[in-house]
This record gives sequence, C-alpha cells and structure tokens, in this order.
Amino acid sequence: MSSTINLSFLLKSLYQPVEAFEALAKADPSPGRVFFRYSLWLLALPPLFALIGAANFGWRIGAEDPLMMETNSLLVVSVGYFIVLSFGLFSTAIISRWMAATYGASASLGKHVALITIVGAPLAIASIAHLFPDVLVNVLVMIPTMIWSMYLLYKGIPIVLDTPPERGMLMASSLVGWLLVAAVSLLGISMGLWTMGLGPSLGV
Amino acid sequence: MSDQTYHDNIALRLIQFAVIWAIAAMAAGVYIAAELVWPTIDFGQFWLSFGRLRPLHTNGIIFGFGVSALMATAFYSVQRTCHTPLFMPKLAWFCCYAWQLIVLTGGLSLLAGLTTSKEYAELEWPWDIAIALVWVCFGIVFFGTIAQRKIKPIYISNWFYGALIIVIAMLHIINNLAIPVTIGKSYSLYAGAQDAVVQWWYGHNAVGFLLTGGFLGMLYYFLPKHAERPIWSYRLSVVAFWAFVYSYIWAGPHHLHYNSVPEWVQTLGMGMSIILLAPSWATMINGIMTVSTAWEKLRSDPALKFIVLSLAFYGLATFEGPMMAIRSVNIVSHFTDWTIGHVHSGALGWNAMITYGTFYFMVPKLVGRELYSKKLANVHFALALAGTMLYIIAMWAAGVSQGLLWLSVDQLGELSFSFKDIMASMTPYYLLRLVAGLIFLAGTILMAYNLFMTMKGKEAARVTVPAVNPAYGMN
Repeated sequence: MSSTINLSFLLKSLYQPVEAFEALAKADPSPGRVFFRYSLWLLALPPLFALIGAANFGWRIGAEDPLMMETNSLLVVSVGYFIVLSFGLFSTAIISRWMAATYGASASLGKHVALITIVGAPLAIASIAHLFPDVLVNVLVMIPTMIWSMYLLYKGIPIVLDTPPERGMLMASSLVGWLLVAAVSLLGISMGLWTMGLGPSLGV
Repeated sequence: MSDQTYHDNIALRLIQFAVIWAIAAMAAGVYIAAELVWPTIDFGQFWLSFGRLRPLHTNGIIFGFGVSALMATAFYSVQRTCHTPLFMPKLAWFCCYAWQLIVLTGGLSLLAGLTTSKEYAELEWPWDIAIALVWVCFGIVFFGTIAQRKIKPIYISNWFYGALIIVIAMLHIINNLAIPVTIGKSYSLYAGAQDAVVQWWYGHNAVGFLLTGGFLGMLYYFLPKHAERPIWSYRLSVVAFWAFVYSYIWAGPHHLHYNSVPEWVQTLGMGMSIILLAPSWATMINGIMTVSTAWEKLRSDPALKFIVLSLAFYGLATFEGPMMAIRSVNIVSHFTDWTIGHVHSGALGWNAMITYGTFYFMVPKLVGRELYSKKLANVHFALALAGTMLYIIAMWAAGVSQGLLWLSVDQLGELSFSFKDIMASMTPYYLLRLVAGLIFLAGTILMAYNLFMTMKGKEAARVTVPAVNPAYGMN
C-alpha cells in the first residue's frame, strides 16, 4: 500500500525508526510515488540551504575571508549538487536491489527507494548547517548525523527486506562500501570540475 | 596421518610482537597527531620532534606490525596449504627474532636522527643490509616449505605471499643502493629526478606488494577458513593475482605528478593506476561473495565482522587511489591531508582490520582455547570502525580545504592565502584526527588485553599434519 508512505510516516521514521521500518516492510510503494512525494523535497534541501548560505555569507574554509562565488556559478553548483544527490539516491536504491538477491532480501524498487530515503533523511535535514557555510561547523554537524544514518541502514535492512540480521549486516556493509566510494567520487569529480574552471577560481 | 606437527609457536610469537608494535607505533602516531595541535609538546627534545617520531610511526606500523603479522600468517598458512611443517624451523625462529631486533634498533636509530630521508626507506645502510639478509631467510623458509609440499597445487594465498617476498626484496635492495660514508650516513646511488622515480617505484610498491599483496595472501587463506566456504571464484583469484602483479609495478610515478619527471612517465603511472582498479575490485568482489554465503557465522564469530568491514575499506581505498592518481584531481589533492586520509583508510580500514579479524580467529585456534571475551571484541569492532571513519572524514575536510586555499589566487594572480595561515586554520581537524587516533588505539589495546588473556600461560597446541587427499597429492 503506497498510502503508508506519507509525510507523517516518514516523520515517524526520524524518531521511531523501528516502527517505521516495520510499516514499510508491509507496504509495497511505487518508486515514482516515493520519489515525488517525499525524496524529491528532501533532496532539494541541501542544495537550497547551500545556495542561500553561500550566496549570503560565502564559505569559510579556514581562511579569514569567506570564499564568495558569483551567483551564476553558485546556481550551477547547486543544480549540480541536486542532480548528484538524486543520482546518488537512485543508484544506491538500484544497487541495493541488485545486491539484495545475493543476501536473500529481494524486494520491489519502491521499497529500496523508500528505505534509502529514510536512511538519508537525517542527513538531508542536518544540511540546514549549510546555512552557516563554515566547513568545520558542517563537518561537526554531519559526523553524528552520519553515524545515525549508518545505524538506520544497519537496523533497517533486515526489517524492511525481511532477512536475518547477520545477512542484513553483510548487505549493509556492502552498501557502506558503495556509499564510501560514491562519497569519494563526489570529492574527485568536484576537484576535476574546479580544475576545469567551474566553482571557486583556482590558480591552476 | 603422519606424526609430524606444524611449527606454530613461531606464528604465536610473531603475533605477540605484531600486537606490541601496533600499540607502540600507533601511540607514536597519536603523539605526533597531538603535536600538530600543540606543537610545543616536543619539549625541545629532538627525539620527540615530529620529524623523528613520524618515520618511527610509519616504519613501526609497516615493518613492526605489518611484517610481523605477515610473517606469522605466512608461516601458519603455508604449512597448512602444503601439508608439511616449515622448512628449516630454526631459520624461521631466526627470522622472527632478528626481525624484531631490526625494528627495535631501527626505531631507536630514527629517534637518534639517523635517516636516509627516503620516505618508508628511512633506515640507514646497516639496517638495510640486515633487512635484506633476514628477508632472504624468510624467502628460504617460505619457498623451502613450498618446495617440500605434499599437495601439488600451490594455493592462491601462497602466490600472494610469494610475490610479497620476491618483489619487496627487489624493491628494497634496488632503492637502498647507496655509498656508505660513516656507520650512520650514506648517499643514495641515484640523484635528482632519477632518485625520485626509483624512490616512488619502491614507495608505491611497498604499498602494493606489502600492504596490499601480502595482506591479500592473508585474506585468501583466512577468509575461506573463517567462513568455512571455498573462495567464491578460484579462477577469478588467479586472474586477479596476475593482473595485480603486472599493473601495480608501473603505478609509482603518480606520486610525481607536476614534478621534474617526463610527462609521459606521469601519464603512464596515471594510466596504470586506473587499470589497477580492475584486479583490486575483482579481489574485493571475490571476498564479499565468499563471505556473503556464510552470514550465519556472524552470530558466533565477532572476528568475521572485521574482515567484512576491511573489504569495504579495501574497496574504498583501491578506488580512491586511482582517482587521486588522475592529474586534474591530484593537482588539488597532492600535498594535502587528503593523502593522509587515503593512506589511513587503507592502513586502518583495510590492513589493521583484516589483521585484527585474523588474530581473533588465529589465536584461539593456536592455543586451543576460546577467545577470552567476545564482548570486548565487539567493543573493539565499534571503536575501530568509529576511529577509522572519524579519521577519514576529518582528513577529507582538511584536505579539500587545504587544496582549495593554497590554489586560490586573487585578481592580480597572486596567492590569496599564506601557507602558515592555512595550517593554523587546520587545528580543529587535527584535533578531530587526534580523537580518532585515540579511539582506534584504545580498540587495539582492548584487543591486546583480550588476546593476552586468551593465550595466557599457553603454548601453541600441537597440530599433526593431516593425510593428503590422493587427488591432490604430488604423485
């Protein structure tokens, strides 16, 4: 029942994750509905906060003067951020579904999209720290949030995909491997783009 | 059934030394991490300065912890995969103790300020010669055991350990060729750009064949044993071995991007680094698929978790490395703390975690007694994971900030920020890294206690060499 995937349900996932996972286990939402009703708005938060923060205050990356970028450049970076996050959500959901066969946890794509959305929700909300664009502040906010998201991933997979906790642990670890690679790819791609002249002006 | 028994006391002793070096060298790492936050805590003592403690940290981990663990696991597994006791066990004992003596005196020589100034090859010529001699003895014991094997096929872990022994000997001897001047000072045979190319051919392949190849030998023997499953694809492991050996040896010049070495050499190093992703991930997939069918073992075996996570970090590090070897990424990431983060995602996440998982598996088997505390092992797992993640994230943030800041130019084309100011602004990240290091060290100390209580008062149990299945026999 896709109707179980509504805002109150997903809000519940933030403070009663186990109950939310149990409800999701019984539902079979369509991926499109999950994405447009919920994931999309969450994914829009980090680029939006980043755009507002960087345009008004500039990123503080350690130096005294904040790094101010042109509005056009900021818009391009923010749209790019949104596209990358959307790609991250879908690729993770698809990889999760692909991996699930190995771990006896097959389920519809909609369930995987919903699961990854719930896991990523705290990170999207914590991106409110982007309004205060200081790298250190963001790192300090994101680290505990990431630990919480990882907890949700390890907790959620066995419940939602109905697989023994040990098998779920293996699958979650494989997904963590993928997410680490995705995170570091994001860093690499950003640097490649900076070197090509998109983003902050570098003397390269 | 024969009446021969395996020589397991050597492996047990080497594990004890490995754990001691892990604690000592990680403590040195934590201390220099603290020095980056509070520079005055060297108290004006040369031997406590960053410049001397840093090589002590790296050499202690690589040669003290890493090589002792590799010798222990190689001696343990080569006997079992060949169904024969070690060849020349007294020579194996010599390797064990002589190696510890080299690490101990070598460490003291670094504290005393003796150094060749070549990264990861800082030890001066008397130690280099001693290392070469002991390494040859290691090779004699290992290949001698293989030569007298009772099983015809040479199992894949032995190919990796064999590559470790041969290639490290080659790299070590060639890179350390030097003209001695005094007992504590020598000059490299190579100069300038040539020296740089030889040094990074050594440096990168020390990572490749010691920290990757050697530990893959560990993975290929202990993971299937642990999971009680055969390797998912033996054929893939053999293909990955040859692809790994062929492509790794070329990757060194990616340490010298934008340097005074020919551009085609840099491009070659970059290209081969990217190709290297294929064999690295083939092994990762082989490992993950092997363990994926053995999930029920996780219920009773906390050590397997370490191996599962080590594979995730192996996947990360072997992806991150080729990416950082791409010139347009390297121009930002080089000379920043991102490199330090990358090294530690490999060293903490892959090398240390797989070794810890292996030790938790081996020690109870070696002494014939249950692990003292599974609960402590689980706590250790949480600490190791938290420490590694915190370390990597702190260094990613610091590295990207540094890369951005010291490439920033103003409208006149001049550098916007001074090196000193940038470094001063890194203090919070260095504090985070210090906390991460302390967490990881605390976990290692817990493991030392757990293993000590497990092996307390026990010698290695006597294991008789089993009979060989005639299908795999030599005749």
